[in-house]
Amino acid sequence: MKSRVSGAAAIACGVAWLAAPLFAHHSVASEFDTKNCRDFTGTLTSVSWENPHMHFNLDIKDAGGKVESWTFQGYSTLTMTRAGSPRQDFMENMGKEVWVRGCLARSGTTHKAAAGTLKFADGRLRQVGQLQDNGN
Amino acid sequence: MRLHIRAAAAAVAALAFLYVFSLPAAAQRPRTAGPGQKVGILEPGGPAPRASDGHPDLTGMWWPNRTGIPHAENTGADVDRAALRQFDPAKTPEAPPVFLPEAAAKMKALNATQRELSKLSVNCIPRGLPAIWLSNTYAVQLVQTPGLLVQLIEVLNNFRIIHTDGRPHPKYPEPLYHGNPSAKWEGDTLVIDSIGFDPSTFVSNNGSWFHSDELRVIERISRPSRNYLQIQITVEDPKVLARPWTSAPRHWTLVEGEDVHEYYCTNNPDVDEFQKLDSQGK
Repeated sequence: MKSRVSGAAAIACGVAWLAAPLFAHHSVASEFDTKNCRDFTGTLTSVSWENPHMHFNLDIKDAGGKVESWTFQGYSTLTMTRAGSPRQDFMENMGKEVWVRGCLARSGTTHKAAAGTLKFADGRLRQVGQLQDNGN
Repeated sequence: MRLHIRAAAAAVAALAFLYVFSLPAAAQRPRTAGPGQKVGILEPGGPAPRASDGHPDLTGMWWPNRTGIPHAENTGADVDRAALRQFDPAKTPEAPPVFLPEAAAKMKALNATQRELSKLSVNCIPRGLPAIWLSNTYAVQLVQTPGLLVQLIEVLNNFRIIHTDGRPHPKYPEPLYHGNPSAKWEGDTLVIDSIGFDPSTFVSNNGSWFHSDELRVIERISRPSRNYLQIQITVEDPKVLARPWTSAPRHWTLVEGEDVHEYYCTNNPDVDEFQKLDSQGK
């Protein structure tokens, strides 16, 4: 009996399989644009400690000096806490200046970005989001 | 008299040595990672402990890679990429599943955004079995008593209760996310044979490997050493797969001194974003 399976079918569906390290809730790069990343500096105004992602807001001045609120998406709360950036770190930096590297939403949603790295006033570089931008 | 004191001191020292090196797992110091610290593959850690009924004791919190440290790669540590994998593909290769042509065509019809929208994880819906083993980036905690294994699944606060006495499947299994198990020990391996799955689950959390009502999942779980849990999954689904698929033996590592945490999905803007992208044809 002739096999019903084509080689093409077997190969096509094997793509992205194998032993790659696992990713979490979803592919962040499918939602955010890794070629559209920026440095942001602003004042920390709030933090949402919920899942599947924590979020925090910064008040950021635009080029004309107008203050706008931006929302940044980070890891899950479990990842944040276990990786050394618990909620308390955000609470202690409320109202202070924060630097973030973030990538914008592919959909064009404004004032929203996926956070990658972050610095509080202590200057320590923290990884707070899955996104590793490609430097653009 | 002095000899007696020396002998007593030596005995105390020997007992202290034995005590320190025979501490139960929960009392050993947790491994940690931090910026710049090198993290490699966790050592085997000696023989697996035995339960009172003589079977290997699977009890512990287990992490889905070979670091033994939750989220080590997110701490700034220098983590060996091999340690982030559950198996070494050069030593135990894992062949991709081979799908029937019509199933493959259905999977290929989805674009990347649609696959994201299909993922149960994106929708904050439990992954189900066997995705909870194959596509889980969070901890599971096993609690074993004679005749029973309880699996606590951190992500989305799920659980499974598995009787290990070999009781048969129900006559009319209902469709469940984790299926209907029949489990027994074969030597030092716990074999869980499950049927009856909810039609909305995927075999892998990739948003495309769907299953039929004939899905059967066989888990082979063992503890080859103190620090390692080994899971091998076989998937039978004659309406979707050309032949049964068996995973490589995948490894989870013991995490000392920690329990699974609460994880409820209460603020999920991702679905709206992916729907927006889909409507934009992206």
